Amino acid sequence: MTNHPPNGSLLLIHSHYGEPPGLFLLAEERGDAVIVRERDLTPAHFTAARGLITTSHLDQLGFMDHAPELARLMARGGRWFFNGHILRPFLAGLGSYAPIAKARRADLVLTRLNEHPIFAGIDQPSFEENKGVAGFYGRGHNPLPQGALAINGIGPEKQPIDWEWTLPGGGRMFSHAGNDIGGMGGPNPNHALVAPRIIAWTMGEI
Amino acid sequence: MAILAIHPGTYYHIESFESPRYAHYFDRLVRPEALADVALEEFNVVLIPCRTPADRMEPHRAQLRAYLDQGGTIIATGESDSELFLPGITFTPQPTNFWWWLTPGADLGVRISRPEHGLFRHLEQKDVTWHLHGWYDVPAGAEVLAVNESGKPILYIDEVTTGGRMLITSLDPFYHHGSHFMPATTRFLDGFLPFMRQELDKDYSR
Repeated sequence: MTNHPPNGSLLLIHSHYGEPPGLFLLAEERGDAVIVRERDLTPAHFTAARGLITTSHLDQLGFMDHAPELARLMARGGRWFFNGHILRPFLAGLGSYAPIAKARRADLVLTRLNEHPIFAGIDQPSFEENKGVAGFYGRGHNPLPQGALAINGIGPEKQPIDWEWTLPGGGRMFSHAGNDIGGMGGPNPNHALVAPRIIAWTMGEI
Repeated sequence: MAILAIHPGTYYHIESFESPRYAHYFDRLVRPEALADVALEEFNVVLIPCRTPADRMEPHRAQLRAYLDQGGTIIATGESDSELFLPGITFTPQPTNFWWWLTPGADLGVRISRPEHGLFRHLEQKDVTWHLHGWYDVPAGAEVLAVNESGKPILYIDEVTTGGRMLITSLDPFYHHGSHFMPATTRFLDGFLPFMRQELDKDYSR
């Protein structure tokens, strides 16, 4: 039996104060996306969702209150695109973020470890710098859950800064352990390239 | 003798407040939504960290004002739109140059304007220099501790607007330290937090 995501909305969790991120505004053009301030989240938002995207500004303490709804969404084949440093156990199997200590330039090299539709055709090292400065993409990794697939590695040890995980009970999570990716109009054009793919992946379309 | 910190719950707040390096500087952590249940007057200092969503603080404006007027001290760091929930703040954002230091010999322009202030027994100019996010029109009588490249205040103490004391800055050390990104911000907190404990965490009277 395969886990076909049920029909549902794209839940975009807006955690910071101010305008929603460009990725969310792009997603909103689809018509099936819902931007919700994190403080206004209800269980019904999860019940109605097919997938969700969270940003690095996620209130992780508050989001833990939604862990049961999140688990149910995943169990029925939902998808979650996560940006940031995992410091709370939202799902069984997740570990805490591991930073690179005193990162130097060589510690911030990026390597494609396995192909993934979000990154297809993109030279991963071209994500390393914005205007000649490295580190914006990320500076550490969220530990690879058992059975997850590392997509991009960071540093000489190729620690899994990006991974995709098919949960034992169903559903998929993508973890990017850094600043939000898929921003629009920034100094690195790769972000605009991956933005529609992140949306499509979260909805189970790629 | 006690310091209360508002805990908005992002990874950078968790890392800053809960990790061993600084956890002992915060006697109690409180979620913004739980503020109404806290007797603020029991604390000498209330700290509101960088990137606290203003709409989570706005409901507590009156409580914060009452705390100040009975002689409390509030510290608010940058990127929190503090003018929306604290009195007497007039803020003008400025574009952030993330790349200034790539130019050999470049100078962001931050200057300590009151080197005789006790804070600067703990901090040097390089410890307050990373990014500029904006400046303040401070009330007459406020004490300006640091300025930007145009001589505009970016760190000041206001003991005139209320019956208490506000230390306000547009610097965002908790965000960067908690992101493991920007050593100057860790140096800032290495100096600022001992200053907070030694100089501000005591009964305050004019």
